[in-house]
Amino acid sequence: MRNKSCGFKLWQVLEYQIASTSRRCSEMHRVGGGIAALERHQQAQRSFAELSSEISQTQITNLQSQLSQFRTALAHFASTHRDKIAKEPSFRHAFQQMCTSIGVDPLAGPRKGGWWAELTGIGDWQYELGVQIVDVCISTREINGGLIEMAELIRLVSRLRGVNSGEITEEDIVRSIKTLEPLGAGYQVVDVGAGRKMVRSVVKELDDDQMIVITVAQDSRGRVDVDGLVQKRGWSVERARAALENMLLRDGLCWLDEQDESCPQVYWVPSAMQWEE
Amino acid sequence: MALSTHTTHSGFLLPSIHSAEPFFTQQPNPNTQRIVTEQWSRLILSYARHRNLFSIRVEDAETAGSEWDEILRNERIKRRLLPSHLSHILSEMVAKSQAAYEPPKQTRIVLLYWRLPEEWAEVLHQWVTSTGQLTTILTFYEITDPPVPSPLSGLPLVLLRKAIGILAKTGRAQIISIADGEGARFFAGTGK
Repeated sequence: MRNKSCGFKLWQVLEYQIASTSRRCSEMHRVGGGIAALERHQQAQRSFAELSSEISQTQITNLQSQLSQFRTALAHFASTHRDKIAKEPSFRHAFQQMCTSIGVDPLAGPRKGGWWAELTGIGDWQYELGVQIVDVCISTREINGGLIEMAELIRLVSRLRGVNSGEITEEDIVRSIKTLEPLGAGYQVVDVGAGRKMVRSVVKELDDDQMIVITVAQDSRGRVDVDGLVQKRGWSVERARAALENMLLRDGLCWLDEQDESCPQVYWVPSAMQWEE
Repeated sequence: MALSTHTTHSGFLLPSIHSAEPFFTQQPNPNTQRIVTEQWSRLILSYARHRNLFSIRVEDAETAGSEWDEILRNERIKRRLLPSHLSHILSEMVAKSQAAYEPPKQTRIVLLYWRLPEEWAEVLHQWVTSTGQLTTILTFYEITDPPVPSPLSGLPLVLLRKAIGILAKTGRAQIISIADGEGARFFAGTGK
């Protein structure tokens, strides 16, 4: 409806422009007489330029009105569904997807996440989640050395919020960590392979071998030793020992156990151990 | 199997870290060991409070059968705290005034401060006041082994002396020599 009427208006404007320009042209003809054809040509060109800029002006106005209409509709949608967006993960997911597909970042904009975030409250929600992620990462850091499994992080954050664990999804965590990026805290989601993700809260590069050690540890509730790595990954004893000793001594990412019956030195990766409070 | 808390026979709730195998090994990484020491110190003090124990010896980690077995050993995962590790933890506790070597000039036995001497002084003064024994002369024995069990039952003499000494500084107690040993008299006071 609105589009049609806009198009109609545009047409009217065009008609008017063309009519007035041709009028001016014929006036020039009458007055101009024998003066340089060049001048007339220039005059005509100026007029056309004028016309074209007027047309684009109209188009911009038109677009702006459409955009403001779109904004109003979105604002209406966002404010009516605000609670739902904050509460339901599936709805939030659909909403985020919609935003991505039309190229709107719900967090973009100047300060405080912009008008978009203000309307939906999703900015606040995301930042709040970010703060809770930091809380969990820091409070568990001394045990796990700054590396926490995604599922464990979700479980602890959910407990902090007092919600059931399905309420917060991996996607939410990843997105929140992105919002923390400008702070330069170095929070990062690390893919350790086999679809397993971990969140690293210390500025520390994990080399490939350490990633493998963590993956192996996750399959045996945190326990890993030199022999295991040699057998499961075909590593040389030296390589396995070096990787484990680095994690133990340099990075504090694993703990030593000297009382295992089958092996004098067993390493435990706390972030791969299942803690139950 | 997830690492979970466990309630001992004496009704003490062990934290989940107590069922983690490496918790019983002294860690070569100093940062990690700091955490291990902190957790053990907390565990030792809270268990001492739970069982009303006042001292721990390095020997308690050597052979089974001590009153500390419930925390120094975890039979479920076949781990135990080794004497050398316990000795290290105790030295850290002494450094943080959570314990004191008693008797002094040795490092095998410590007196545990799950209440600081200052806190014991308050507990003592409160007990004397609430039982109406102000200005009465009390022997040390009457304080640490009263007919009706009190929070001070079993308090080691060293700690009792420290507590009375603290009260004496503010004029709330006075040590008195009596025929068969030592005694004290307590006075009301604000403690200021």
